Amino acid sequence: MTSVLDARGIVMTFQNGDEFTRVLLGVDVTLDPGELVALLGASGSGKSTLLSVVGLLLRPTAGVITIGGERVDTLSDAKSSLFRNKRLGFIFQFHNLLPDFTALENVSFPAAAVGGGINSAIRQRASELLARVGLSDRMNFPAARLSGGQKQRVAIARALMNRPELVLADEPTGSLDRASADQVLALMREINREDGTTFLICTHDERVASRCTRRITLRDGQIDSGIRDKTS
Amino acid sequence: MFAFLVARRYLRSNPWQTALLIAGVALGVTAFVFITALIQGLAVRLTDDVTAKSAHVSLEPADRVARVLPSSDYDTEAVALVSMLQRKQIRTWAATVALLESQAEVTAISPQITGSAVLVRGEAAAPVAVTALEPKNLDAISPVSREIIAGDARLNANGILIGVRLAETMGLSVGQPVLFRTDRGIDRLLVVEGIFRSGVQSLDERVAYISLETARPLFLLPSGVTNIEIKLKDTGQARAFANFVSGATGLRATPWQDRNSSLADALTAQGQTGTLIQIFSLISVLIGIASALSLSANRRRSEIGIMRAFGVSRLFIASVFVMQGLLIGIVGASLGCLAGYGLCGWLATFTKPDGALALPIAPAEGGYGLVFLLTTAGAVLASVIPARSAARLDALEAIQQ
Repeated sequence: MTSVLDARGIVMTFQNGDEFTRVLLGVDVTLDPGELVALLGASGSGKSTLLSVVGLLLRPTAGVITIGGERVDTLSDAKSSLFRNKRLGFIFQFHNLLPDFTALENVSFPAAAVGGGINSAIRQRASELLARVGLSDRMNFPAARLSGGQKQRVAIARALMNRPELVLADEPTGSLDRASADQVLALMREINREDGTTFLICTHDERVASRCTRRITLRDGQIDSGIRDKTS
Repeated sequence: MFAFLVARRYLRSNPWQTALLIAGVALGVTAFVFITALIQGLAVRLTDDVTAKSAHVSLEPADRVARVLPSSDYDTEAVALVSMLQRKQIRTWAATVALLESQAEVTAISPQITGSAVLVRGEAAAPVAVTALEPKNLDAISPVSREIIAGDARLNANGILIGVRLAETMGLSVGQPVLFRTDRGIDRLLVVEGIFRSGVQSLDERVAYISLETARPLFLLPSGVTNIEIKLKDTGQARAFANFVSGATGLRATPWQDRNSSLADALTAQGQTGTLIQIFSLISVLIGIASALSLSANRRRSEIGIMRAFGVSRLFIASVFVMQGLLIGIVGASLGCLAGYGLCGWLATFTKPDGALALPIAPAEGGYGLVFLLTTAGAVLASVIPARSAARLDALEAIQQ
């Protein structure tokens, strides 16, 4: 079975003038289809950097990244953009939605921007996704008028718009109250279970990690442990 | 096109800023239209003023030069000299007039004898430039009869029309005789039939009109004329028509522009000044667009980062900002053209007591098509800088901000 993600020997070094900061020191990560993986670690451990590298938002200093069997660390800017659009989904803690657009338009955006507009197929898919995240009645609401939990559910729907193999979530519940966080987490688990979509969730929240099928902990730029938790 | 929808939504999301931006563009375009209409109107008025009272094309005999005569004797060479006493004239003027009358663009033809003379009354003497013409053609080139302030403009065989300042200088009034002495030394007593006031001092004290038949014996031109003056429907065609007539008749044809080169220079300088003002008003419009869109791009950094994260191309991001520039340019230029036309039309309603426009403005000549194209194209160009900077944003950096 082909891994959804296979990252080998990932090194990430940032340069600031003459100063070099090594954030990732040869990280190996493999995700199988249908996994819901928590990426844990203290602040500065490199987990957000690893998420950005895996999401093709940062090019690693060294290492090889394969997603769905395709090597992606050497793609050009235009090709990696297209790859992100077609095969990856992103959920962020802040700045989730485009405030001047409705919930439906936000969800449609990844497909519409590449496909030339919101056609009937895109509209239908976006409507289905919004219904799935429980926001059928908020489709034409401006994003700016949605609550925090609703915004994050719209962001989840948007991440799923192009049927990605891998969804990368960076502290998806970090800015939500407990009830909203539980709703969002339950939703991600449901999608993971029902669709088999693989999730890599960067978090420092033990409650989130405990509901994932596996956890990866980073410490000082290296993998600390990998535990498959099948009880959650 | 989805980028167009996004651009429109961005502009609508901040209506006051967009309205101010469009108002700024419209104001610049209005200024452009006003300056263009004013300069064009001024040029038309100056040209009209000059061409209304003068010929559009003047025909004169070609310059005579000494020429070598053919000879069979190799030892001698004969040269035909030019007589300085012989007056230059157009002998075949009737045929030339017939040719001119067949041309559709010609509106008036006036064969004339022009020369110098001295008016003598008692001990007073004054030099005058004489224009002799057929009485029926008196108003063909310049509306002389409309400028008569005393007497009439019948121009009888022994009559003369003189300017008001000449009349005052010599103490002449209508009906009084005056001795007319030509540059050929021939005298004749003429009667002042009319006194005119052209409003141009040099004309009012130096010009006199007599009839063509009266002038023939006085200037020793029994059958010819010295020049033929022509008016055309379109003054702009004067140079081309002059070339045509010159080729057809062998006469020297001079368009009005060559006789008023200082006017042409003034119009050119005026046009260049107007162009500079137009360029500066357009530049200010473009700087406004570029700075406003740059601010917008900066304010939307995080949104651009999100878009880039879910795979929207740099080209799409850039096209959103270019579309905003295009929309601002189209709407601003349209409103500016309308406002400019309205302003010029309103200013054109103000007239002086004599009925002339208070401001020589030509509302139809505002350069609307040009300014619309320049503003729209310029707005697109001005948006390229913020578009490029938005497209170059690093997604991760923008999201983290």
